[in-house]
This record gives sequence, C-alpha cells and structure tokens, in this order.
Amino acid sequence: MIHLKNLEKKYVDDGETTNALRDVSFEIKKGEFVAIMGPSGSGKSTLLHILSFLDRPTNGEYVFNGKSISELTDKEMAHIRNKEMGFVFQSFNLLSRLSVFENVSMPLMYSLDITIAKRKHLVEKAVASVGLTEKLYAEAGKLSGGQKQRVAIARALVNDPDVIFADEPTGNLDSKSGAQVMEILHDLHEDGHTIILVTHETYTSEFANRLIHIKDGLVESDEPIKKTRKARSEFFK
Amino acid sequence: MRTQDSIKIALSSVQHAKTRSFLTMLGIVIGISSVILLMSIGNSAQALIVNQVKGVGSNLIFVIPGGSKSGRFSAPASSQGVIIKTLVKDDISTLERNAAITGVEPEVRGQAKIVYGNNDTTVTFLGVRGNFFNIRSYNVDRGRPFTNSDVESYEHVVVLGSETAKTLFGNYDPVGKSVRLKDISFRVVGILEKKGVGAFGIDQDNLAVVPLTVGQKQLLGIDYYNAITVQASDAYTPEFVKARVTSIVRESHRITDPNKDDFTVRTQEDILSLLGNITSILTLFLTSIAFISLVVGGIGIMNIMLVAVIERTREIGLRKAVGATNSDILQQFLWESVILTFFGGLIGIFFGALFTVVLYFILVYFVQIDWVFALPMSAIWLSVGVSTFTGILFGIYPSREAAKKNPIEALRYE
Repeated sequence: MIHLKNLEKKYVDDGETTNALRDVSFEIKKGEFVAIMGPSGSGKSTLLHILSFLDRPTNGEYVFNGKSISELTDKEMAHIRNKEMGFVFQSFNLLSRLSVFENVSMPLMYSLDITIAKRKHLVEKAVASVGLTEKLYAEAGKLSGGQKQRVAIARALVNDPDVIFADEPTGNLDSKSGAQVMEILHDLHEDGHTIILVTHETYTSEFANRLIHIKDGLVESDEPIKKTRKARSEFFK
Repeated sequence: MRTQDSIKIALSSVQHAKTRSFLTMLGIVIGISSVILLMSIGNSAQALIVNQVKGVGSNLIFVIPGGSKSGRFSAPASSQGVIIKTLVKDDISTLERNAAITGVEPEVRGQAKIVYGNNDTTVTFLGVRGNFFNIRSYNVDRGRPFTNSDVESYEHVVVLGSETAKTLFGNYDPVGKSVRLKDISFRVVGILEKKGVGAFGIDQDNLAVVPLTVGQKQLLGIDYYNAITVQASDAYTPEFVKARVTSIVRESHRITDPNKDDFTVRTQEDILSLLGNITSILTLFLTSIAFISLVVGGIGIMNIMLVAVIERTREIGLRKAVGATNSDILQQFLWESVILTFFGGLIGIFFGALFTVVLYFILVYFVQIDWVFALPMSAIWLSVGVSTFTGILFGIYPSREAAKKNPIEALRYE
C-alpha cells in the first residue's frame, strides 16, 4: 500500500540546508497499525506530512496505492487525500463555530460523487461509531477535549479511507480521554483500517503492531510489536 | 465542491461575524444608495425638463437675435446680455407668408417694478400679441387674455402671472384693478394658470404680459424684438421648418455667408437635447463621485477579507488536508466577498429607493416643485451588477492569498 525508497527531504532556510529525512525506505501493507516514534526534530512529522500527501519529498520515490507522488499534480494529491486518507491531529482542528455534523461532513463536501442524502447517512454512521450520536448537532467548540478528538476521528473515518494518519492524537488529552481515543483507533484497526500513528509516548505506540524509530532523519529501527494486550492493560490502569 | 456548499460555508462565515460583516457592508451600502439616489435625481430632472420644454407649446421653433458661431449648442450673444437689434418687423411679415408656418409671435421683454397700492414686486414683463397665449400654452385661469385689437389700439391692459397676482393682491381678485408698471397704469384683465419654473430656470409665474405695442414702444422704447416664436405646420418636420425659417430670415437680413448669421434658430428638440446633455453630464459626474465611494467600500471589503484569511489560516490548512483544492478555497472566499457586496448592494438599493421617495415628497409637498418620481430599473440592475462585480474584483486578491496557502504551514499557524 505504501512504498518508500530512498526518500529525502531537505529544507533550505537562510542559505542553510537541513536534511529532515535521509534515505528513508520501508513498506507498509494494508491493515497494519504502524507507530512512528522519535525525539523532537527527528523528522517524524516531516515523514507523516509526506506520507499523507501534504508535502512532497526532495528526492526518492513514494508510491501510495500504486500511484507515485512524483507523477501527481497538487489537485490529484488533494483528491487522494479526500478519498483515501483520513487525518487526526493533536490539536483536533475542529471548526468550533460549526456543529459536530458540519465538522464531520467536511471531507464529503469535497467529494462531488457523494449525494447530499448519502452525506447525511455517512456522517451519522461515523458519529455513531465514536459514540457521539447525541452530540450530532452540538457546537463543536462546546465539547470536551476527549469528545473533540472523537469528532475528529469521526471526520477521519467518514469517507471510509484506506489509511488514517494520526499525529499525536492523545497529546492534548487527559489519560482517560486518551485511552478512549486509543481504544477507538484500536477498534478501527481491528476492523481492517490501516493506521499510521506519530507519537512520542511509548505506551501509546504499543497499541501498534509495528514500531518505526526515526532519529536525525534516518530510520533507526523498524520492528514488530507483539505485546499489544499488555500495553493496553497497562495503559488503562 | 458544489456551489451550494461554497455558498453555505460563506453564508455561515458572514453570519458568524455579524457586526464585522455589517460594518464591512456599510461602504457598499453607502456607495450603492448614492448611485441609486443620484441616478434617480438625474432621471427625474430630465423628465422635469422634458415636461417643461413640451409645456411651452407644440411644434415650436425659436428665433433668437445674434448668431451662434461654433456648433448648435453654443449660446447666442443675446442670451449673454448683449443687446442685438436684428429681429425686426419685416422678419415677421416674411415668415407669416410661408406655408410651412402656422403662427409667428414676436416678443419683447424687460424687467420692471410693478405696484398695486402699497405692494410692489419686480417682474419680468412680456410684450406679445394675442395669439401668443395660445401658441405658448399660457392659459388664463381667471379673466381673459388680451386680443390683437387690444394690441393694435395700444390698450393698457395686463395679464398677470399667478405668483405676481398673489404678491400684489393676496387673496383679493385682481381682475379689473389697476396696477402701475414703469409709472404707466394698466388694467388687469386676466390671471395666468400656475406654470412653475420653465426651461432654463425662468420663473413663469412671476410675470406681467402686456400688448406688444405697449411693451415695445412705451415700456422699452425700442423697434426690434427679443425673440420670435414660430409654430410649424403639422405637415412638416420641425427640422425642415427650422431650415426654412433660417433661410427666410437670412434672406430678409440679406446674409449670404451662413457663418455671419445675426440670429439663431432652435427647435424644442434642440433645447431638449441641450438640456438633456447638461443633465446627463451632471448625472454622470455625480454618479462617478458615488462610484468612488463604492471603490472605497470595495477596498474595505478587501481589507477585511485579508484579515479573515489570516484569521482562518488553520481552517484553510484543515480544508486542504481533507481534500479541498486551491480552487475550492478560492471559491469559498470569493463567495464570501460576493455575498458581502451583494447583500450590501441590496440594502443600498433599499436605502437609495427610500431616499428617492423621501426626496420626492420633500420637493413636491414642501418645496412645491413639479418633481417627477423616477426610480430607473437600469439603476437597480446596474447596482446589483456593480456590487457583485465589486465583490469579485476586491475579493479575488484575498481569495487567491487563501488558495495559495501551504497546508502544512497553515495547519501549524497559531
């Protein structure tokens, strides 16, 4: 599903070149739950941005679902983000003046093939899957942090994407709300969704079944995790 | 993205910041209401002028002393206060002989103090013949007009304008009373109907009309005329009769070079188009000023839209992340700008129309001018078009700025 080969990302700032990613190569198969970890400034966010088509690599090859990023226009990338990807951000990124319904339906607004009637059905289904049906028409700004992140997950799910990118999804939450969010992501994975999680919290990363460590723009380690249940039980203590 | 979704998002953003939206619209509201009001005033003024010029009589051609050299709209010297003595009795008799002409009425005019008892006022007096009243639509309200025999026998009779009669006599009936004009006693035989201000702003109610002979010989002591009104036969076009009159007078004055004409001939259409040109230029000038306020309003919109784009940077980043293309973002902000100016335009049209109605009532009931109500549809359509166009014009730059934003930087924006 995801194929990276010799990926590089360089930034030039005031004539000084920073290598944010260096020679990154790996593959992610459909249905995996991958955690990307690394210290601050390691390049994990840059990697997530490239994986989620928000940015382009300087060098190297990135093929997503058979489509190479180097051959896509910005408009085609926007279309793939809309149809095949879902996003969960650390700071929720909800439009607080809008209702839960309006926030969740946002990705569908940019899909012309989904009718308005179908849109309503999909939004209700997504909101129900995160257990917030009773808040469907509540103003997003008035929800608690945990509820906001659940709305953000519903928004990421609503277009039934192939992969969900979660950037520090529990970073702004208390441990109880964080646990709920991780539980939902775990269930989504169980349902067959591919999830790519960027985190710096070890216990969160242990929900994943594969851990990629990044340091100074390089993949330091890439190995499977086989203690998910233990990690989860510890998390909920 | 569907247009209806773009409009819905834009409407919700406008609604969310009600006070700001209203203040932003204000510039457009003021601009559009000024355009509507000024275009309506221009149309009313033109309609008023048409009514006044047509109210003078029908099929009329005016012969004025003095030539007008450059173009048909330049003023003859006589209208600038120069005394020109070229229109004389022979002109009348030669014009009267022509088949295309059904009436020829010479006139003399001057200003003098008119006195009744202790009351006096300064009036324009006209010395005319009996048919003048008919040809120039001066209808007598009370009493009678004087006749050609009164003119021939130097009768000291006068027909007063309604305003003059009111000033001198108040509520009393002036018919049969005597007034003094330049120390000559005149018997009032009739009072004219109220006629209002005529073309070129001449007050047609503050008037004393006396027999031509008396006016010319006794009041003014001259042997020429100040103007000749010619009535054309219905069988000919005014332009044709104008040409005929010109050649007759030219021949009578023994002029061979048209550039040396010592008289000017004008039809009612000439006067209408001259006055029409003046009011059109004035309307255009005033409307242009109103358009400047629209431009200022547009810049206000642009300014606020730029602020909105900065404030909503994260929203732009988010929308892009979930699949919005640059053109989706451009469309969203452009609709917002157009909605602001469109509704500003509608409110402006409402206030413009309201001011037009208020102005009409003030002019008709308080200033007592025969103002014509005009709210041209063209002004309304123009306003809708211009306000929408203003929205697009001044919204395009902020919308492009929004569309250009990098999604990652936009998402990180604090």
